[in-house]
Amino acid sequence: MKSSGKTKIWLLLLPVLLFLLLPAYGLFSALWSSLVHQGSLSLQTYEELFQKEAFWYSLFYSLRITLIATGCSLVIGLLLTRAFYPLINRMSGKLSVWIPMLFPHFVWGYIVLLLFEQSGLFSYMFYHLGVIESRESFPILTNDQNGIGMILTYVGKEVPFVILMLLPVYVQQNHEYKDLVRTLGGGRWAAFKDAEWPWVSPILLESGIILFAFILSAYEVPYLLGSTFPEMISILTYDWFYAGDWSERPLAFAAMISTSILIGIVSWGLYAITNRKRWLFTKGNR
Amino acid sequence: MKKQPFLILFILLLTACGQTNNPTTQSIDFQNTSWSDITQKADATTVHIHMWGGDEGINRYIDEWVAPKLKEQYNITLKRTPMDTQNILQKLHSEKRAGKKKGTIDVIWINGENFKNAKNSDLLYGPFRNQLPNFKKYYDQESLAFQYDFGTAVDGYEAPWGKVQFVFQYDSNKIEEPPKSFEELKVWVKDNPGKFTYPNPDDFSGNAFLRHLLYQSADSPESIIEEPFSKQHATKHSEQMWSYLNEIQPHLWREGKHYPSTLSQLDRLYRNGDVWMTMGYNEARAEHMIEDGVFPESTRSFVMESGSIGNTHFLAIPYNSPNKEGAITAINFLLSPNAQLKKLKPTYWGDNTPISIDKLSAEDREKFQSLDRGKTVLPAKKLEESFLPEADSTYVEWLKENWKNEVIRKD
Repeated sequence: MKSSGKTKIWLLLLPVLLFLLLPAYGLFSALWSSLVHQGSLSLQTYEELFQKEAFWYSLFYSLRITLIATGCSLVIGLLLTRAFYPLINRMSGKLSVWIPMLFPHFVWGYIVLLLFEQSGLFSYMFYHLGVIESRESFPILTNDQNGIGMILTYVGKEVPFVILMLLPVYVQQNHEYKDLVRTLGGGRWAAFKDAEWPWVSPILLESGIILFAFILSAYEVPYLLGSTFPEMISILTYDWFYAGDWSERPLAFAAMISTSILIGIVSWGLYAITNRKRWLFTKGNR
Repeated sequence: MKKQPFLILFILLLTACGQTNNPTTQSIDFQNTSWSDITQKADATTVHIHMWGGDEGINRYIDEWVAPKLKEQYNITLKRTPMDTQNILQKLHSEKRAGKKKGTIDVIWINGENFKNAKNSDLLYGPFRNQLPNFKKYYDQESLAFQYDFGTAVDGYEAPWGKVQFVFQYDSNKIEEPPKSFEELKVWVKDNPGKFTYPNPDDFSGNAFLRHLLYQSADSPESIIEEPFSKQHATKHSEQMWSYLNEIQPHLWREGKHYPSTLSQLDRLYRNGDVWMTMGYNEARAEHMIEDGVFPESTRSFVMESGSIGNTHFLAIPYNSPNKEGAITAINFLLSPNAQLKKLKPTYWGDNTPISIDKLSAEDREKFQSLDRGKTVLPAKKLEESFLPEADSTYVEWLKENWKNEVIRKD
């Protein structure tokens, strides 16, 4: 009986595995292309890649932007959900969170561009209200070297996602735990830390991993809102991939594989933490 | 039992990989087929043209004029798919690797480094050019402009469709006298800080702007055009160019800390009045930009006294086109005097023609010569006088790479 149960699981997983076959093949062929140098297997491409200053600069820059954007989205998403979950849980509230999620990232990118660029709507408004003397004195917030435009786009787009992830937790949370903390003399912080955080943190971490992986490797937002230099890793990879004579393609594949490995390590690390927490958590429940 | 689907898929994947070793190029013997046979086979078929779709005028020319005419004259249905040329090549490249003999694309619009890539990777069908009656009749077959595409031998793998020249556009309300030379431009840029910039050379137009400077930087344009590309040669002749670019950088839009990544971004800055000049590889582009309300009415164009680079762009057929007869018939039609004249008119596109005017009938010649291309287009004589041919396409790539090191990552 046990073996038939196992087969059943495999059968159920079949569609997922079939679906994963294509990306897995893509990943495999990228790995293969990055490892073959002049017809034989070697790490030559990786050696070349790791010696490139542009790669490291770009990677650390991308990491910085990704961590800031992910962090801000999580914190703002958490604060908004905590404050407004009864409101958001109503139909109109849900709609107001769902609707922004329907627009793809590049639409958000364009909105940020139209609003925040020096010849954009805000600069126009401030100029006409007399807040700034000329439109050029409006701060540079798009295509800037600090990546503010990109961060604004990601925060605008990801906060609704974080809210949707957190909403079920808050709607179903057990208020009795909080009351317990209060009765035992704990303050607001203690109530949050002991009665709320353990439920919320796994979801936050999961959302964080998704956002991290997505933002680190996304192309369209950096293309629209990034600066000429420094550039996000995806832009650098794209340039290599489409370089005129295709001679830099192995570099592009190596960079993609390196980014994937980085994402893999981070996700694995964070999952390990959440799983341990979850395990302790369920154990404590009993 | 349950493992079987995986096994089959695995085998399928393996066989897909295996086919890369024997690429097959389908060949139809057009040499011995008469033109009327070709058009007959093309009758009632569909031709899929994949081409860059970033210009509304060009798209409308294909959809509103070419497609109905082709239907009427040859009973061919023309379907246009907008796609960047490098993505088209990527698709063909993948199809080749997968051993796909029957593709989905019949005609592509191509030139320069893309052509070089496609030809070197055997992605094109051909040679087919001498099959085209219109090419044989109306085009100068000896012309160097059709023999070489950015230094790559054409060998009949593409047919000339149009010809463009690089010009600058400026707002005549804001600038009375545009600069005549790069020296004057430098002075102008310094006098008007923040009012000029050029696209990142990853963009084709930005790259062409740099190529002008490179010609200027060498002792004579010939030394760049005629010598085959070598790194030493390029480095030697580019010193002045880099120092010029570094000199103007602090006076550019946003102090040169950011460059527009595409020409359309530069056009947007120009439209908003953030910069006072834009540029592009089409001497008539301002016409329909004004018509579409993107550029101000007061836009005019100019070229530098040192010359303006021009090139020919072409049409080609992918190696795995499922309808080669249809493709050839359509290309022949696009090369016809009638289609070329319509393309030259500012209503849709305004693209210059590679046709030889003196080979046309008296009536057609009259039509071409009397055509008014619009007030923003420089006179044909001026354009002809300043015409400079393109150099080896390797320069395009070389400029992209070195610009980042010499200008951007310097500080």
